[in-house]
Formats: sequence, C-alpha cells, structure tokens
Amino acid sequence: MSNESKTLEKEAQAQAEARQPWTARRVGDLILNNALIIIMILAVIYIAIINENFLKAASIINIISQTAAYLPAALGIAGCIVLTGTDLSAGRAVGLTACISASLLQNAENLANKMWPEIGTLPIWAVIIIAMAIGALIGCFNGFFVAKFKLHPFIVTLGTQLILYTFLLLYVQQGNNKGMAISNLDPSYTSFVKGSLPFMKVGSTPIPNYVIFAVILTAIMWFVWNKTTFGKNMFALGSNEEAARVSGVNVFATTIAVFALAGALYGFTGFIEGARIGSNTANTGLNYELDAIAACVIGGVSFVGGIGKIRGIVIGVLMLRLIFVGLTMVGVPQDLQYLIKGAIILFACALDMRKYLVKK
Amino acid sequence: MRRILARLALASLMLTLCGCGTSPTPTIRVGVALYQQEDTFISTVAQSLQQRALEEEQARGVKINLSVADGRGSQTQQNEQVDRFLDQKYDVICVNIVDRTAAAVIIDKAQAAGVPVIFFNRQPVEEDLSRWDGAYYVGSPGAQAGELQGQIVLEAWQQDPAALDRSGDGVVQYVMLEGEAGHQDALLRTKYSVLALTEAGVPVEKLANDTADWQRGQASIHMTQWLKEFGDQIEVVFANNDDMALGAIDACLAAALDPLPFVVGVDATPPALEAVEEGTLQGTVLNDAQGQAREMLDLACDLAEGTAPQVEDGHYVWLEYSAVTRKTLDAASAGAGNQSE
Repeated sequence: MSNESKTLEKEAQAQAEARQPWTARRVGDLILNNALIIIMILAVIYIAIINENFLKAASIINIISQTAAYLPAALGIAGCIVLTGTDLSAGRAVGLTACISASLLQNAENLANKMWPEIGTLPIWAVIIIAMAIGALIGCFNGFFVAKFKLHPFIVTLGTQLILYTFLLLYVQQGNNKGMAISNLDPSYTSFVKGSLPFMKVGSTPIPNYVIFAVILTAIMWFVWNKTTFGKNMFALGSNEEAARVSGVNVFATTIAVFALAGALYGFTGFIEGARIGSNTANTGLNYELDAIAACVIGGVSFVGGIGKIRGIVIGVLMLRLIFVGLTMVGVPQDLQYLIKGAIILFACALDMRKYLVKK
Repeated sequence: MRRILARLALASLMLTLCGCGTSPTPTIRVGVALYQQEDTFISTVAQSLQQRALEEEQARGVKINLSVADGRGSQTQQNEQVDRFLDQKYDVICVNIVDRTAAAVIIDKAQAAGVPVIFFNRQPVEEDLSRWDGAYYVGSPGAQAGELQGQIVLEAWQQDPAALDRSGDGVVQYVMLEGEAGHQDALLRTKYSVLALTEAGVPVEKLANDTADWQRGQASIHMTQWLKEFGDQIEVVFANNDDMALGAIDACLAAALDPLPFVVGVDATPPALEAVEEGTLQGTVLNDAQGQAREMLDLACDLAEGTAPQVEDGHYVWLEYSAVTRKTLDAASAGAGNQSE
C-alpha cells in the first residue's frame, strides 16, 4: 500500500466517520483508540492528588529531562521497527560511544586519571561527530547483514550486541584505564550536556541542555520521516517489501540507511549519557534498547511494519518515564513496577493490533 | 483521600517546622538507594537500617520514614532513583553508589536541592566527596579488612605451618578471588591481605587471580577452573567477600576435594558464619552491618534535625572490622543474636 492511497483511504474513513451517528459503539471505539492518552491523563491527575510534589517544577522538569535522555535512542530504534525489524544492539552501542566520548573528553589537567594522556581534550563538536560516526558504522554493519543476507534483524543485532560487548570490555582496558570506570570528565563536556542556558529556567529549576538537543533531534527526525524520499521509502519498505521493490525503492540502500541513522542516534545518546550519568563502564547502556523498544510499542510504532509516528514515540517515551516516576510518587514498591510496565506494553500492543485487525 | 491530603499537609508543615527545631514529633524522610539488593551484605545493611529506624524513632521521639530503592547494578537507574527522592523532598538521602567514580553527578544534584547525601559501603572518590560539605561517607576502611584476613591466615601458619603448607615446600600457594574491577574495597582487600603475610615474612606464591564480581556463582566457576589447573596445589583461597568464598567452597565440594583449602572471606554474612561453624570456611572478617546502619541513621537524623554531625575530616564516619574464626564465633554469633531481636 503506497502512502498516497493510504492518505486517500484515511480521508475517506474520516468522512465516513463524520457522517456516522454517535452510537455507543463509536464512542467506545474512540475511547479504546485513545486509551493510552486517556489513562496517562487520569494517572497524572491521580498522582498529583496523592503527591503534591508531582506537579512541582522540579519534578516535571525531571520527567522531561529523562524523556529527553531516552528519546534519541527510541527515535532511532523506531525506524528499525517500521522496517518490521528491531535493534538489540542499541544499548551496547550507547555504552561503547559513551565510553569513547568520555575517554576523549577527560580533564587534561589531571593526567594521572586520563585514559589517553597523550591526546588533550578534543573539541566537543569533534567528539559528537566521532560518536555519531561510530554509531552509524555499527548501524551500517547491522543493516548490511539484514539487507544482504535477509537475516532477521533480531538475529543480526543480537550478534552485534555480543560483539560490541567485547569491544566495550576491551576498550575500557585500553590506555591508562585498566578496566576502571572512565571518570574525570572535562568541565566543558559536563556543562555542555548538563548545564543550561541562562534563560532556560522554570522557577529556580534549570532545564538541562540535552532537552534542547532532544527537541532539535525530534524535529529533524520528523522532517526525515515525513518530508523526505528516504522517509517515504522507509515506510513503503516496511509496509510491503515486494511492492516497494517493484515501485523502484532501493531496498538495500534504504535498509542500511535506516540502521545507520539509528546507529548515529545511539552514538548521540552515548555522547549525552557519558556526561549525564557520569558513570562510564562496560555496563553503561545495558538494556537501553528494551526501554526504547517498549516506548516505541507504547507509542504505536507497530511491529507489523510501515506504521508509526514521531508524535507517538515522544508520547511512548514520556509515558514510560511517567510510569516510573509516578509509581514511586504514589508509593508503589519497586518490584511491582515491572509488572505494571509489562502490562502496559501488552495492553498497548493489543490495542495496536486491534486497530490493525479492524483495518483488515 | 482527605486523610492523606491532611497528612501530607501536616508532614510538609512539620518539615518546615523541624527546620526551626520547634516541632515535637517531626517526620524524617530518608531515601536509601542500594547498588544491588541481591548482594548479601547490602541486604543485611538494609534490614539493619529498618530495625535501627524503629529503635531510633523511640530514642529520638521522631517518626522515620525509610524508603529503599534497588539500583540493580545500574548507575542510570540509581541516578533516577535519587532524582525521585529529591523531587519528593526527602530530608536525607543515603546512597550505596553503583559506580564510585560517578558520585559527582549525585552530589551536584543533592547540592542543588540542598539535601544532604550520605554515601555508604561503596566509597566515592575523595575529590568528589569534598565537592560539598553536605556529602558524607559511612563505611569501613578497606585496607583493614584485608589486613585482618591476612592475619587469620598468618595465625594458622604460626600455629601449624605444616597444616597450611600441604605441599611442604615452605611456600604458601594461594589464589585470589577479587570483587568487581575498580571497586575500592576489592583493590585494598586484595593488596593488604597478602601484604599481611609477606610483611610477617611468610613466603607466598600467587597461582591465579580473577575478578568474580562479588558473586558466588562466578567465584565457583573460576575455582572449578583453577582446581582443574592446579588441583590440591591451592593451599589458601583469599576471597574479597564471603559470597565468593562460599562459591570457592561450592567448587571444592563439587570436586570432592578433601581436605578443603584454607578459605577466607570478608563480611561475616549469616551463610558465611554457618560455613565457619561447619568448618568449611576458615575465617571471615566482620563488616559491621549493624554499625553502618546505626551510624548512617544517627548521621541522617542529626542532619535532618540540624545538629552538627560528628564526622572525621568533615565527611567521614569510619567503622572497625573484626576477624571472625571458629574461636571468635561464639562472640560473633552472640552479637548476631542480639541484632535479630
């Protein structure tokens, strides 16, 4: 199904819906289709009543900051899911790029604790490019195996994940580091990521810079997905590979590009996390992909392929963070939170499939 | 709902009041972030904290609200937990930090929110701790645990060298099971346990060493490997903690080794004390969980009530280790009996 016919169909559907009377069934459908947003709003109201701190500036900015930190990786992984794939190597890619970024941006004044004493502190823009290039390279590797050998991305990225772990373990043992956590970060690096512009404040709580980066990235990704040939090709490929091939989409190049773009975004996440968490070990980034995949699924990026919106991903990431922050605020024990997270993922997926089945 | 709201309003009122020290029964809210609850020693500390909080409540006439979060070995998760504690305006935060080099992030956050932070058991880098006056560390000096561990072996050597030196070559062959790479205690215990022997003039030879990440399972895997390689050449097994010592014993028992090598651990966890009683574990070093919990809560309450805390060098509260062997076990188990009351 090409994009055009999809939009036509949508318009027709919308017109048909507008003509329909407001029956109980239609209202029910409307509620079900927007169930997650409704639940989210109800949850926010409930938590705010139970715990007044929830709606304070510090808490809201905390949730927004966490959303911003997890957003780039989710935006990347969403592309892979649109291609009916997934990417399990995201977490390790974040870990590797975080360790590399941190090691290149250590404080040159404290040479004893510097991983590479021979090279000074690199300029920040160079490290961003290096991190994103390494991420993109990892993505290309994934994409190549998926496109060339028609392996399922689950398998390919599972392999890459393991391979990257070895790289990560070896990297932290290089130079002066000997397997220790990479710390002693340059102040310019931490303030670039965690600092905030003087006017970016709500009350007395500053909004960290990485929120701005996430907003910019989201805008770029929205443009790429919706306004470029590459984006349209990606959706066409995700909906129906054969049809896309016949209509002249370069399947090989598009697949590699989607994975490479995702990789570049993991690289950026790694750069941010290096300073944000401040802990750069072989365990950094572990299981990031799972949160990112969960967020995409909650946000309506369908594993069926070819379906997904940037808006949905942002909502998905925000919702996951809300769950974690909100549940603690109302005093739900930590052990129960995973159950709730799992239930929400299942619920979101079931809703998503229900829409899809209706369409069929 | 109204009751909860009322209670919240009351609590926040009290918080503002207890700053001035006029409130009769203030609530002290303490957030505790553990690096990994599965760690036997850490969970002992957490339990002691809960018990101690009840006692402290009566002693000080305050209400202590203890909230424990498990970081599951991820600094990312722990940072988020600390953020949540800060958002909820806890009075004091206790952090058993996952990555000791990452304390600066947490200290900066706590400083921005004006909430004192007490690190425990896992010692942050010194420069980080000195960033802010409101950051403290409660723990035991890692070197001492190693020294005591070495002394247990030394004592056995002095009593009967032949029993320890089974090969009869006059040299103590040992293997070292290390805690996670880069952990302050792991480095210090590894270094000082052997140093205690060499300084006393006991000739030693290291057969192998590896990190088992504080874990029983991993230690057992390494030990099985070493047993294949060295067999009964291994005379002493140093383990940086009890879980790993027990893992080594698991491997020896599985290999039907008799007699067992001389295994020593650190922490004196309940399973380790049982093993000492059974005679499989020769000795361990009591890492004072109750003491840590007591000092942490004392410090937390002092900070919340605005009393000047009693600390060394402006940041540190140190606790003593003590050696536990079959001989001292009666005293130690009596102590353990007291704690469970």
